[in-house]
Amino acid sequence: MMDVGRHPKVELFTNSEVENVTGFVGNFNVTIRKKARYVDANECTACAECAKVCPVAVPDEYQQGFSSRKAIYMPFPQAVPSAYILNMDNCLGNNPIACGKCADVCEKHCINYDDQDELVNIEVGVVITATGMDVYDPTEYDEYGYTRFDNVITSMEFERLICAGGPTEGHFIRPSDRKIPQKIGFIQCVGSRSQDGRGNPYCSNICCMNTVKDTLLLCDHYPGVEAKVFYMDMRAFGKGFEDLYMRSKEEGVKYVRGIPGDVVEDPETRNLLLTVENTTTGKLEKHELEMLVLSQGVIPRQDGDSIRKLLTLSQTSDGFIMESHPKLKPVDAPTKGIFIAGCVESPKDVKDSVTQASAAAARASILLNAGKTKIEAITSQVDTELCNFCGICAKVCPYNAISASDRKAEKPPTIIAAACAGCGACAAECPQDAILMRHFRDEQIMAQVEALVKDDPEKHLLTFACNWCSYAGGDNAGTARLQYPTSSRLIRTMCSGRVDEKFVMHAFKMGAPMVLVSGCHFADCHYINAVHWTQKRMDRLWNKLDKLGIRVDRLQLEWISAAEGQKFAKVMRELEERVQTVTDEEIEHTKKVLAEEEAKAEAKKKKKAKAGAEVSA
Amino acid sequence: MSDKQSTRTPEKHKINYAFREKLNAVAEGYRHNFCYQCGACVADCPTGNHSETFNPRLIMLMAILGFEEELISPDSEIWNCTNCYTCSERCPQDVRPVDVIIALKNICYDEGKAPELIGKVSDTVLTDGITTKITSLAERRRAELGLAPIKQYPVEDIQKIIRGK
Repeated sequence: MMDVGRHPKVELFTNSEVENVTGFVGNFNVTIRKKARYVDANECTACAECAKVCPVAVPDEYQQGFSSRKAIYMPFPQAVPSAYILNMDNCLGNNPIACGKCADVCEKHCINYDDQDELVNIEVGVVITATGMDVYDPTEYDEYGYTRFDNVITSMEFERLICAGGPTEGHFIRPSDRKIPQKIGFIQCVGSRSQDGRGNPYCSNICCMNTVKDTLLLCDHYPGVEAKVFYMDMRAFGKGFEDLYMRSKEEGVKYVRGIPGDVVEDPETRNLLLTVENTTTGKLEKHELEMLVLSQGVIPRQDGDSIRKLLTLSQTSDGFIMESHPKLKPVDAPTKGIFIAGCVESPKDVKDSVTQASAAAARASILLNAGKTKIEAITSQVDTELCNFCGICAKVCPYNAISASDRKAEKPPTIIAAACAGCGACAAECPQDAILMRHFRDEQIMAQVEALVKDDPEKHLLTFACNWCSYAGGDNAGTARLQYPTSSRLIRTMCSGRVDEKFVMHAFKMGAPMVLVSGCHFADCHYINAVHWTQKRMDRLWNKLDKLGIRVDRLQLEWISAAEGQKFAKVMRELEERVQTVTDEEIEHTKKVLAEEEAKAEAKKKKKAKAGAEVSA
Repeated sequence: MSDKQSTRTPEKHKINYAFREKLNAVAEGYRHNFCYQCGACVADCPTGNHSETFNPRLIMLMAILGFEEELISPDSEIWNCTNCYTCSERCPQDVRPVDVIIALKNICYDEGKAPELIGKVSDTVLTDGITTKITSLAERRRAELGLAPIKQYPVEDIQKIIRGK
């Protein structure tokens, strides 16, 4: 951190927040709010005179509330920049009559109560997101008594107590009587690997080794100490981890496989009593401990939503940020020029964070060094003649690549080609058909529909498959030599979000018995969330078919991933059976209804055009 | 595993898949499949704390392995469960051991392998609407203590509910 602060080529913004991000790869414009610090960081020499006279004492967040800090303080000894900061929420008021003691004693006169937030605009080529994580609050696990008993602490609090720079200067004492405990227990997986609504379903990755390290620290500081670890599975998977685990066992740390039940406090000694089944022996054991450490899990940043929205990052069901591809692009965000590193992506230790950060930096420097980047020619374009400035396209775009139109000023939207990934959701949603999707134009796809449905339409299943998942799923079925009916006719689109209502309606009008739209599963969408628009559009279409008296199940929607060749073949087989159930009368009826509909729409259009002409005349 | 299990002969260790399928088919009977044997259910189990042999974790393990003979019998440990639901509260995997045990009990009853007493209790509920018969002794004692006689239960309504007609 110090090195970063000193580096001539690194500009470090501390105590700042990203307000807005616009632009695209190579040309991001980032607005940063530098929050008021009330202390001139360049002038401050960290002499600590101000903190000495400050009359306000509040719990110190860095020391987990074990000690107090002043309203003007240094967040932690190695903080960068090495300067004090004034927390206005704690300060007695920026009215010098109320207090103002710190400004009086500051020889450098660097305290300014009227300091204001500052907005800074910077131009950057790439953005790396490394916003970190939060820790799980174990109060939900009431049986362990974290809120009731002083001597039950979390692993973060343990860290402060055993640290030489901590509130006790490294003396590990228990909070109730400040004595050094001899019998210390650790409970693992508090808030992790839990499906019952308390805590999180995932493994937090770092807690096992953190506890092993903690037990070794204890053994090192206080030889002869009795440490016990209650666990369900010890996951010592990394390089050198098993050695460390073995060393901890050799030091005499007892590892008991079993999760304890209710923790009870002895009111006299303030010791903690717990019952646990040692699952390796099958026997119930009772343990008396002087101190209990809850190995809390980690959770995603609770205030991470704003940055996620600004950078159009998607998240997994756990709340961590999703990478562009779990194996091949582990540090790339779906939007080009944005990268992720560290615990914002998943819980991980220091080594993995450094590895990932190095990868992200290397990926970023590829773009920066080249100075230019190639993009696929599959991008969208607005036909300004047809656009009626409704603004739906800007709302649909998963990449914020379309700037909003202005209805009053009759200003059409502009599309940043470099930010456009080419899903085509905008083209499908545009009610005016004013968006042209290069290589997947309306006319091209309509021509495909017509060509495929032309001969013996009643026998064929028309399928729209997305390039990344469903089409690849079909390939997978083929390479695996799975048998499926030959009646399906595939049209490839980049994303299922490209499938326009009119393609489907046109197919039915041409006499297609069934239409299948298939895309990636929701979590796998290769265009952030374009597949949500597929779902919405299908819902709309089903309603429409229902109103027109057309059997709703003639339009099918399936999510098939690239690995699901089996599912692809199965869906094809099932739908083939269903195609047989569609009668000729039904198809004729559909053709008639849709022709009538079209005639009606045509008449309406003419009437409108006529009315428009009269008004303009 | 406890000593009781470790003395099993090898052929008895064979996994009984047929029984597992049978258990999976009963309401809530599939939940044991999620168990990762952490033992969180055992520490606070009131029966387990007073009995050497009752252990909800082992019952889940036996269900996973399909130990039909041990589980489905009138002498099975499952009948010692008090249905207090503490294990369900503790279980991190949402296995709800009680629900699995109830599923096992239902299989026992359907196969006529439940303890005789269980049948008697359910018969009493059918005829009297409550689990324990009201004896003349109880009536007399209440009268002596000046307590009002026990209210008659709407037996016919209860029977209707149970029989579903």
